[in-house]
Amino acid sequence: MTRARSDEVYVVGCGMHPFGRDETVTGMAMAERAVREALADAGVGWEDIGYAAGGSDVSGKPDTLVGRLGLTGVPFVNVQNGCATGASTVLAVANALRAGEASLGLAVGFDKHERGAFTVSAARYGLGDWYAESGMMLTTQFFALKTRRYLHEHGVSERALAMVAARAFRNGAQHPMAWRRKPLTEQEILDSAEVSPPLTQYMFCSPGQGAAALVLALGDRAFDLCERPVRLASLALRTRRFGSFEVFSPWLPPGPHRSPSVDAAEAVFRRAGLRPADVRVAQLQDTDSGSELIHLAETGLCGHGEQEELLAAGDTDATGRIPVNTDGGCLAGGEPVGASGLRQFHEVVRQLQGRAPGVQVPGAPQVGFTHVYGAPGISACAVLTV
Amino acid sequence: MTTRLMAEGLFEGADPLRLVGARCSGCHTVVFPRQDSCPRCAVGAMSAHVLPVRGLVWSWTLQAFPPKPPYRPPSGGFQPYHVGYVDLGEVLVEARLEVPRRQMRIGLPVRLTTMPAYHDEDGTEVLTFAFRPDPEEDR
Ligand SMILES: [Zn+2]
Repeated sequence: MTRARSDEVYVVGCGMHPFGRDETVTGMAMAERAVREALADAGVGWEDIGYAAGGSDVSGKPDTLVGRLGLTGVPFVNVQNGCATGASTVLAVANALRAGEASLGLAVGFDKHERGAFTVSAARYGLGDWYAESGMMLTTQFFALKTRRYLHEHGVSERALAMVAARAFRNGAQHPMAWRRKPLTEQEILDSAEVSPPLTQYMFCSPGQGAAALVLALGDRAFDLCERPVRLASLALRTRRFGSFEVFSPWLPPGPHRSPSVDAAEAVFRRAGLRPADVRVAQLQDTDSGSELIHLAETGLCGHGEQEELLAAGDTDATGRIPVNTDGGCLAGGEPVGASGLRQFHEVVRQLQGRAPGVQVPGAPQVGFTHVYGAPGISACAVLTV
Repeated sequence: MTTRLMAEGLFEGADPLRLVGARCSGCHTVVFPRQDSCPRCAVGAMSAHVLPVRGLVWSWTLQAFPPKPPYRPPSGGFQPYHVGYVDLGEVLVEARLEVPRRQMRIGLPVRLTTMPAYHDEDGTEVLTFAFRPDPEEDR
């Protein structure tokens, strides 16, 4: 789909509060810092923002940020959309800009979670108490069950799971805003505590905290503000269709099991007029090593079963053919649900602008890709270009 | 000691005990547990459908750490346990697997059984469903 430049939306500034764990700072304070950084990066003030959207899963109503940033009367939409929260804020702002609501908008996401596994409620997912009481309502089990089946069906070894995590921690070690900054060998990852085989402790991300924000501009305004604006070529959000293999499923149909990630990825590449092979820097949801492995193929970045070869050849390293999670992803950054998707945008934008905070992909990449996936069967993908 | 089933709506009969789901009259989709509307088509009516007792392990994992509440540990305290999906042909059902690790594999023939989940405060043993290796199938 070709649009006139006046209808294109660009990222012209981005900001981020370091991910990790810091008891001295609230979710809202982290969000404020990310917003102020994004505004400074774009060279604009809060009063210039004509439309805003914010998302948080557990850390407060995002629109109350106006009390900290300035009571300008700006329209501010709150989003609570699980792992797709960040992408949904970008979608809300981009659509508002294209609809003529404003020429400059802001998207922000933040969260600060408790330690340990996310707490669940059977009733909230429409399930009977028996499901949780009998010990089957754990996200870690779901990821392990899905991964086990995938490895079996596609002939991928458990070592590939360790390769994914080792690359994440290698990249995270070089990223100033990552949480886990210590490289680990594949053997250390395989030998870490068994959580739910085939997944070990270091193959899972942890709920953490963080915030990220983007300033978006419409058409020529973007080029007035920014030397190298990054075009939001396409963004698609999808929910599951019948037969997808999702978390907290007491039953599944016999198959095939088609993920919403497949639908979202197909839609963004089609709309952008690009192919997965054009992508030079990618962000994939890596709540665990198995998820990233599966998402590599579901998004079309490689074929099913090709992952192990790709990883072993270093093709997903920053210097490889298709660099993945150059900031260490969720594995190294943790997963503050509301901030995670915007962290992905932050990293890809900075990579495409040639100013990555951590390891920079060489050769001036021009096409970037982001992907999130989460409960209860949602996915959002974006293609970004310079 | 008295016993009871964890949730009455999941089961039919006592000896042998069967799992009961629902089947759509329109598209023949089988779900578990029962629900009143079809997740696949908008037209079918759902009616109770007794599930096969035999199947094959479709995927499996181990729960190595004690889950947070609302999980209820057995009276002897938490012990790591296996869970998985069992392929019953018309539907895959998630269940506890009473299968030793050395025997566990995708494709293992299993059959329905019950196992103690926890005890009520009055001492009643609460049973949940599980699958164990099928002696008639495993040679
Ligand atoms: Zn139906």
